[in-house]
Amino acid sequence: MNLKRSLFAVTTAALAFSVVVLGGGYGLRAHQRIRSGRPDLGLVSCTHCHQGSLNKMPWAKARPHHDSPGGMVLSPDGKRLFIALDDKDEVAEADVATLAVLRRAKVPGGPFGLALDAQGERLFVACQHVDQVAVLDTSDLAEKARVSVGVRPTDIAFCPTRGGERLVVTNSGSDDISILSPSPLAEVARVAGGREPYAATVVDGGRCVYVANRMAVHDGQLAPPASEVTVLDPASGHIVNRLALDSAHMAEGIAAVPKKGWVLNTMIRVRNLVPITQVKDGWVMASGLAISQADGAVTQVPLDEANASFSDPSGVVASPDGRRAFVASGGSDVVTVVDLDWLNSWLSRASPADRGDAIMDMAFSYHYVLARIPTGCNPKHLALSPDGSRLFVAERLDDSVLVVDTASLKPLGRIVLGDGGRNDPIRQGERVFTRARYTFQGGFDCRSCHADGHVDGLSYDFDGSGVGDNLLDNRSLCGVAGTEPFKWNGRNPTLQFQDGPRFARVLMRTDPIPDPQLDELATFILHLPPTRTIPWDQVGKPLTPAQQRGRDLFFATKRPNGTPIPRSRQCQVCHRPPLYTNRLIASVGTQGRRDPKEGFDTPHLIGVGASAPYLHDGRARTLEEIWTVYQIDDLHGVSSYWTKLQLNDMVEYLRTL
Amino acid sequence: MTRKTSASLLLGAAVLLLAACDPQAQQGSIVLTQVPVGAPAPQDMTVLDARYPPGSRVVLLSPPFGAQAVRVLSEGLEAAGDPCVSWDGRWVYFAGKDKDRQGWQIYRVAAGGGSPERLTDAPGGAMDPAVAAHEELVYSSPVPKAGRLWASPEPPSLYGMLPGKAPRRLTFGPDAAVNPTVLRDGRILYVGAAASDSRRAQPHLCLYTVNNDGTEVTAYAGQDDGVDTVRRPRELGDGRIGFLASRGHEPGASEWAEGVRSAAPFATRANLLPFPGQGCRSVEPTPEGELLVCADVAGMVGRSMTANAALFRVAPGAAELGAPVFDDPSWNSIEATGIARRDEAAGHTTTVMPAASQGTILCLNANDSCEPATDGTGSPAAQLRITAIVGPGQLRVLGTVPVASDGSVLVRLPAGVPLGLDTLDGAGRVLRHQPPVFWLLPGENRACVGCHERRSHSPRNVRPLAVQTDPESIGLAGKSYSR
Repeated sequence: MNLKRSLFAVTTAALAFSVVVLGGGYGLRAHQRIRSGRPDLGLVSCTHCHQGSLNKMPWAKARPHHDSPGGMVLSPDGKRLFIALDDKDEVAEADVATLAVLRRAKVPGGPFGLALDAQGERLFVACQHVDQVAVLDTSDLAEKARVSVGVRPTDIAFCPTRGGERLVVTNSGSDDISILSPSPLAEVARVAGGREPYAATVVDGGRCVYVANRMAVHDGQLAPPASEVTVLDPASGHIVNRLALDSAHMAEGIAAVPKKGWVLNTMIRVRNLVPITQVKDGWVMASGLAISQADGAVTQVPLDEANASFSDPSGVVASPDGRRAFVASGGSDVVTVVDLDWLNSWLSRASPADRGDAIMDMAFSYHYVLARIPTGCNPKHLALSPDGSRLFVAERLDDSVLVVDTASLKPLGRIVLGDGGRNDPIRQGERVFTRARYTFQGGFDCRSCHADGHVDGLSYDFDGSGVGDNLLDNRSLCGVAGTEPFKWNGRNPTLQFQDGPRFARVLMRTDPIPDPQLDELATFILHLPPTRTIPWDQVGKPLTPAQQRGRDLFFATKRPNGTPIPRSRQCQVCHRPPLYTNRLIASVGTQGRRDPKEGFDTPHLIGVGASAPYLHDGRARTLEEIWTVYQIDDLHGVSSYWTKLQLNDMVEYLRTL
Repeated sequence: MTRKTSASLLLGAAVLLLAACDPQAQQGSIVLTQVPVGAPAPQDMTVLDARYPPGSRVVLLSPPFGAQAVRVLSEGLEAAGDPCVSWDGRWVYFAGKDKDRQGWQIYRVAAGGGSPERLTDAPGGAMDPAVAAHEELVYSSPVPKAGRLWASPEPPSLYGMLPGKAPRRLTFGPDAAVNPTVLRDGRILYVGAAASDSRRAQPHLCLYTVNNDGTEVTAYAGQDDGVDTVRRPRELGDGRIGFLASRGHEPGASEWAEGVRSAAPFATRANLLPFPGQGCRSVEPTPEGELLVCADVAGMVGRSMTANAALFRVAPGAAELGAPVFDDPSWNSIEATGIARRDEAAGHTTTVMPAASQGTILCLNANDSCEPATDGTGSPAAQLRITAIVGPGQLRVLGTVPVASDGSVLVRLPAGVPLGLDTLDGAGRVLRHQPPVFWLLPGENRACVGCHERRSHSPRNVRPLAVQTDPESIGLAGKSYSR
């Protein structure tokens, strides 16, 4: 009897459990299908919609800060070196003779770019996190004034002009250049730059300023990109010239060459339109130097060589006699010494065809590369003493500055700023992120395409199982935590999967990154905060009327005439906040012949305003083009009822995300 | 005996046993190939018999390199030579000939000494061992008859063999692939013949690289310059590749050391040593940045004109060879390499898909060439003709594919056979001719800038028209069909 009762009880419980599970599952699936508007949807995790708070994302939490050296400038007498420590909100002053740090001053807002006036009495600091320029008195490093500029200022140049003293500030986040009057500190003009104005150098004692724009301007999916060198007259604030660096991106270093009238730009020469079948010989990208001559002629020459690459060229300085240049390669931990006299001789006799072809000849650098000086981890900014005898190399991920004797090219010592953060897994991951030795012949590293973790604005053709017709837009890594799966086809559940053996096979062409380093890399990426796309002083402020109207469109469930918009075509259903993605595959009618028929991973929209181009293959140059050129049958949100003004409103809103 | 004492004895015995199993070489030791002076070469000999006659041996030399410091590593073998050392410095690989098996195979022995272990059982023998990433053994097989290395009906190819795995063929060219060495970037650098339409006994030899999965075969140096014979390339660690050069292919031809800069290997070929280096037998780098040089001492001060070869250590910038660090008059010291732990070469994640039968080649612009077209008119290419060597001496035209208006071509081709390419004008006349010399592996995607394009050049950043359509597919039968 007891056995029967037990059997009955167990059977009843099992049945009840089954009913609950099956019924619950059925109900859950029905709920998901209704809410997503996707009748084809299988059972998925609740977290696709119920994403939790952004405050719980890894990037929103407190993290260790490091003494990473940013911009550097030497006092006119060459005795003191000022170093920006953006991650610590400090500026340090070091004694060049003893290599000791004399003092540090708190400068809130991520001090990054530095400039001194002619007397060395005022230190101008570009604070990239708060969109401001601060002025410090070098006698006590006390802050004297502060002024707002464009978004994310990265560099500042002081120049005496016929109209008085001027400061030129590169606003990398707003694609413009501020011209300031230093006394009193005020913005007198702001002019449009290229894409991501990043560094500036003064030419001819202030006659003009050359500005390096880090990212290439995207001019169509199949057109070669080009990075701009913006030439402006700081006295009038007028643009004098816009030079194009063909197929160049990451052009983030710039230096004037005394006595030769040149301006040097570090750059990466990309081959993003060529299917990636190999890494050797710069088939994906190669490091180079662009030489802009006074007549506007631009010649690109390689910094890589036939069987070795020196990735992420960044800082560049030229010796006072104009005979040598020094270039930091952040991914390869070397400084390359370039013989400018040889290049001058060659330029004087080279035909236009020779000049055009030089960047393609990977063995060409053999003629003018004099030495490769090993450095610590991730050399970025460089500075030369006024007499050219000492080179200072900011070893950004070692928290130190290497000092090199430019005559012997031997190290003289280091200015130690911090402990290098060896115990910080995020810092360790950043080292992996910037380390080119995980790629065949050190051709490139993660940062080569993802400066600051963001995009390079290009589409690349991964060969996969075939060749061609596989252009894929580069996606930002900023704010990517919680948005898995990764890759446009949504097949990579983790960053380790994304960046491990698969990347080694299709891109890096070497052994995969070892698991411990892969975990560190993933940790670093997951801690990358979203890119800020609006001015600092507007963060947390109410939306403007236009932005609010755009938001209303984004969350619209009905057309103005009351017709319901299918849930599957409501913006906020697929791009569901707070991550602005439901992490599901969707088809918006953009698949090519060889693309997966089911569609693509729904990208998150955080920082979308700064991540052009758009759509999986980067065919849309702007946010507007998504709907004005590539919208098909309202598959990508119902936009057919939008007016031009409403489209403007939508774009305004998207730029706030 | 107390329990503690017993345990200590057991522990000691275990340590001794482990040490005996994997003895380490003394710091600074050198592995050396010794050939007995005046040893007669055997009849019907192979190239290895000629180089390492019976009695040749691989020995361990320990500091201070006296004759009494020699320890034979190839114990029990009739002849041995061509040693190389594993990345961790614990193992020595060499080619050895067993007294009973009468064939050359690759052996491995602990660097400190022990019994050689045969690693290969290659039909026709194996030679020229090298070690790639993950302790992968790379070798050349079969071993051809002496004087027939470059005219053998069955030219030796390179093979790779991971520990415990079956060997994989890496090269599929029409000519021999020999003397492999592994570069720090993971590629295998080897000696091959410059592309030619005819099999010659004395071809122009030069250096090629191939990935350790057999993909991406590429000319490295010497295709367009220098004397006809090169041998034993080595990466020297100072940005140079050193090798031996000679004017003849005959065994015993006097050799000297040359080198190229890896930064510009097609423009920097020069003598490696700053003094006359005739009679050089081998050049190898040391971890200290010096060179280990085996060279004839004949004609040196105090030596006869028929003296032996000895071992020298040459410092950077040395003005002369100096005194030998090891010289046994009854032996020729012909090959030496230091025993030391080195950074392992980079690995390579293979792109080969074994289930596939074809690879794909993309030529970005068939008109991009540093050689003028044979007709001299500058006509653009209209078609690309594909040829292949499908058997000994059997050259077959597999078919033609159209060249796009921008000069680009995309085509799937059979894997594992030597392929040649000819560009044709609109009338079918040959503009440029490339004899079958390269190959594709299954699933390999290969691209080139042009036809006979300039060396070490990267492509222009333009989208080739050919990728806008599916590639034509050509099989060994020579019949084109759509994918």
